[in-house]
Amino acid sequence: MSEIHKTMTIHLKIWRQKSPNDQGHFIEHTAKNVSEHMSFLELMDVVNQELILKGDDAIEFDHDCREGICGTCSMVINGNPHGPEKATTTCQLHMRKFKDGDHITVEPFRAKAFPVVKDLKVDRTAFDKIITSGGYVSVNTGSAQDANNIPIGKHTADLAFEVAACIGCGACVAACVNGSAALFTSAKVSHMALLPQGQAEREQRVLNMVRTMESLGFGNCSNTGACELSCPKEIPLESIARMNREFYCAEVKERPEKEIGGF
Amino acid sequence: MSVVLDAKIPEGPIEKKWDSHKFHMKLVNPANRRKHNIIVVGTGLAGAAAAASMGEMGYKVKAFCIQDSPRRAHSIAAQGGINAAKNYQNDGDSVYRLFYDTVKGGDFRAREANVYRLAQLSTEIIDQCVAQGVPFAREYGGLLDNRSFGGAQVSRTFYARGQTGQQLLLGAYSALMRQADKKTVEVLPRREMLDLVIVDGRARGIIVRNLITGEIETHAADAVVLATGGYGNVFYLSTNAMNSNATAAWRCYKRGAYFANPCFTQIHPTCIPVSGDYQSKLTLMSESLRNDGRVWVPKEKGDKRAPSQIPENERDYYLERIYPSFGNLVPRDVASRQAKFRVDEGRGVGTTGIAVYLDFKDAIQRLGKEAISEKYGNLFQMYAKIAGEDPYQVPMRIYPAVHYTMGGLWVDYNLQSTIPGLFVAGEANFSDHGANRLGASALMQGLADGYFIVPYSIGNYIGSEGSQIKPIDSNDGIFVSEKKNVSEGLDKLMKINGKRTVDDFHKELGQQVWENVGMSRSASGLKKVIGDIKSIKAEFWKDVKITGPKDYTNQELEKAGRVADFFELAELMAKDALTREESCGGHFREEHQTPENEAKRDDSNFCHVAAWEYKGAEEPIRHKEELKFDHVKLTSRSYK
Amino acid sequence: MSLIQSSMGRKLIMGVCGGVWALFVFGHMAGNMLILVGAEAYNKYAHAIVTNKPLLYGTEVALLSTLVFHVIFGVVLTLKNKSAREQKYAMTPNGEKRTSLASRTMIYHGTIILFFIVYHLITFKYGKETFVTYDGVQMRDLHSLVVEVFQQPAYVMGYVVCLMLLGWHLSHGVSSLFQTMGLNHPKHTPCIKMLGKVYAVVVTLGFISQPLYVIMTSF
Repeated sequence: MSEIHKTMTIHLKIWRQKSPNDQGHFIEHTAKNVSEHMSFLELMDVVNQELILKGDDAIEFDHDCREGICGTCSMVINGNPHGPEKATTTCQLHMRKFKDGDHITVEPFRAKAFPVVKDLKVDRTAFDKIITSGGYVSVNTGSAQDANNIPIGKHTADLAFEVAACIGCGACVAACVNGSAALFTSAKVSHMALLPQGQAEREQRVLNMVRTMESLGFGNCSNTGACELSCPKEIPLESIARMNREFYCAEVKERPEKEIGGF
Repeated sequence: MSVVLDAKIPEGPIEKKWDSHKFHMKLVNPANRRKHNIIVVGTGLAGAAAAASMGEMGYKVKAFCIQDSPRRAHSIAAQGGINAAKNYQNDGDSVYRLFYDTVKGGDFRAREANVYRLAQLSTEIIDQCVAQGVPFAREYGGLLDNRSFGGAQVSRTFYARGQTGQQLLLGAYSALMRQADKKTVEVLPRREMLDLVIVDGRARGIIVRNLITGEIETHAADAVVLATGGYGNVFYLSTNAMNSNATAAWRCYKRGAYFANPCFTQIHPTCIPVSGDYQSKLTLMSESLRNDGRVWVPKEKGDKRAPSQIPENERDYYLERIYPSFGNLVPRDVASRQAKFRVDEGRGVGTTGIAVYLDFKDAIQRLGKEAISEKYGNLFQMYAKIAGEDPYQVPMRIYPAVHYTMGGLWVDYNLQSTIPGLFVAGEANFSDHGANRLGASALMQGLADGYFIVPYSIGNYIGSEGSQIKPIDSNDGIFVSEKKNVSEGLDKLMKINGKRTVDDFHKELGQQVWENVGMSRSASGLKKVIGDIKSIKAEFWKDVKITGPKDYTNQELEKAGRVADFFELAELMAKDALTREESCGGHFREEHQTPENEAKRDDSNFCHVAAWEYKGAEEPIRHKEELKFDHVKLTSRSYK
Repeated sequence: MSLIQSSMGRKLIMGVCGGVWALFVFGHMAGNMLILVGAEAYNKYAHAIVTNKPLLYGTEVALLSTLVFHVIFGVVLTLKNKSAREQKYAMTPNGEKRTSLASRTMIYHGTIILFFIVYHLITFKYGKETFVTYDGVQMRDLHSLVVEVFQQPAYVMGYVVCLMLLGWHLSHGVSSLFQTMGLNHPKHTPCIKMLGKVYAVVVTLGFISQPLYVIMTSF
């Protein structure tokens, strides 16, 4: 082909860690002939091919859909979860955002609640635990009424969609100076609190989800706003405020459990 | 010996089949359900919905997925929407019309009874999802909004911006996690199914590898539901997720489940083209773009001028030229094939020459940039991000890519495979789309299977055959030996220690399959590729290099096992394509076309499902399930 | 009771207590501006406060208790937050994803401000007592003490630095309190954020203007 891609040399510093208990360290690797059209993960693929042929273990990193929707890819690139570009996941970050000769440091998401499995791969099951504790509407299959019996104004539906768009990637936790999961939790709390379907369990849901979140080793929100800036789906900080007021109200109104059948 | 397969379609008129079948199904007493273990493999729309629904019913369910969370299954990437015959728009839609469109769109290679049931259930799916809190698009009055999709003449597609799959999956995921909270479902993420365990001729459990610890685990159950998606990654480059694979389905095939219509794969016409050999996957852009974009290539071969330098009279708007009445809106397979023809003629565009233009210049002039941005803003943004070009200024470059596989494990009306106790749901089965899937139908099928069909079928299976399902222990007997086999299989891979990486082999295989079993297939190409696949496969088993541990997380080892299965599957696809001496839907045989390059179906010889039976070292046997069309008359498609 | 057991409840209490102090420092700053008017006004104002015992003790109790809660929960939450990331990053968010330094360092300027408050009380409230008489009423001559202290350049420099830290603390704290209380709305929040910064600047400039005035008028 006549046209030549712009290629560059990139100096990588990549975190390697054998297991959760391993100390871990950085390795350095220079990638040559990097095309500007490559995605960041494709660069990692190329690095891995070189490592394998040298007999080294490939760098473990989570990735799947590579179109920015599954939330599997992670990585902290030069200090930024999902790299420097806003509203972008690592898989959608392209090398044209970097310059020839750039030094790039790649680290895993770091948080006590997300222990490193190996290299850049971390364990995010804590998020599933938060959802398990209440991130749903309790409706059994087959018992639903006609969909149009629940009218929802367009603005409310759009607001709910905005927060429901969370992909659960964990960048909010990774970016937060406190390793807080407030944005993730508040996105689901908001989604359900905004919609009529979520009203019946509204109070119990926020109590359960917040308590679970706090028990999993996440830090507390201190309103720095790092989560919002790093969120690939731009979930707004407003949802944390919403979770706060939902939580206080529910907490204040909560009744002590009655001993049923007790003495 | 080839046998004629019995699909167990219930008696009675088509609109009553499902209801009467449900009535005649055996039930399991609620108190007894918790005594029955069910394994569900895969947590996409079908898997998560099935596991959640069965958990609600009271069964003890184990849900497995390879991802780190059930929420990440690739159903999440579906953009467009989900069809349902609600007729909310009062434009003449009905269950019958959706059924009719799906059968016709599938080019008459789907089972009528299944498709009718799918259309019936479509309305319940929307109700269910809305009740779960799925934020579908709404009109100002608060009612659900619909759009027309994929050339349908009615607006029956429900959507949530460009993220319908995500929202539906998160709905199913939340239902699943609710059951996890209630302890009816145990969710086991990061587990890859590596074998099916059969006891007394029934599916009774699975062998999985824990993708973190590397441990090989055994799990026993009374029935197994497979919902592991399609096999599009056999092409290496596809719109599937990187980890989507056929291994679970393939291992079931090797245990006796028949594989139906493997050559039926769908190519989506509007994807972002390949930019270099480092390319790892392809990204689809909604085909709604063709509503306003015009597809063209230069008239001259090898014209390397920038698109803006090519005057109107030197452009070939080939879809408008060949199909004056449908123009740029011809179905997916037709649009894809025509793009391939242009590239083969040497008239492709872009740096690689493997792309065609999709131009919005006229639409922007006619409607204004704002109106276009309103409609397609997010798609334009996505394109700009990936391709690094502004589609408002320069025409998009697009090219078809593998997107969906209609083929899959053969199932009867109950979604049971040829192995009793093994049920297959969603894209993993072959059931409802025939030779070509209509837009916004994949989500519908996954959820219909998962929420409404599999849970009933499982009840019927346990209710009617429960007495023959003896208690077993996953630490005993056959489980121990199968576990050993699986472990030895992994050792074998690790020990090769050759010189080429797994990806390298996968790319080579994908290239061959794409060239020969892709958009256009010929007898000579297929015969040749079968030999080529065999030799790449032999090379793989001699020369692949896998580093890293066997007993801890190792993505290279995971990939190697999947690619090893893709070789075998690719061969079967080619064989299936070779024996299907007709063109239909996504399967285009160059020998079977009209003088105008249109697909020529052969209903007298090929109006059947081809289901392949594994025979070990011998050639697989091709069985048939004859298809009868009592309601939708066999006609040929024309878009002229 | 359980509100206090949850991190979110503690944060709310910490925030509200901080809010009480934010209001106090504004009032304190505004009252002290009387130094620009003159010694008599300044001393009379101080006298009016200390002789109104219910007001004085009420305020002192309120301030002391809110300070205690603010500090204790601030420290407790920070410790929990620090433990949520055991292994530090080699690099932190930067570029478009960078957050304000003030918001990330509240515990550090907060600590300095705490020490400043103690030192401040020692210097003035418990400092040298001289007396003057206006209109036949004898009262403490706080004005001369303030003027004396503010004529020491080293003290003023330290004072200005601490006040700027206070302003920085407020620049995040005030608007952050609204977020913590659950008050965030795209229509109002930009305004709240701006007013929070203005508030911090006004308080800081107000306080700083006093020693500068003293220095400039004493030559």
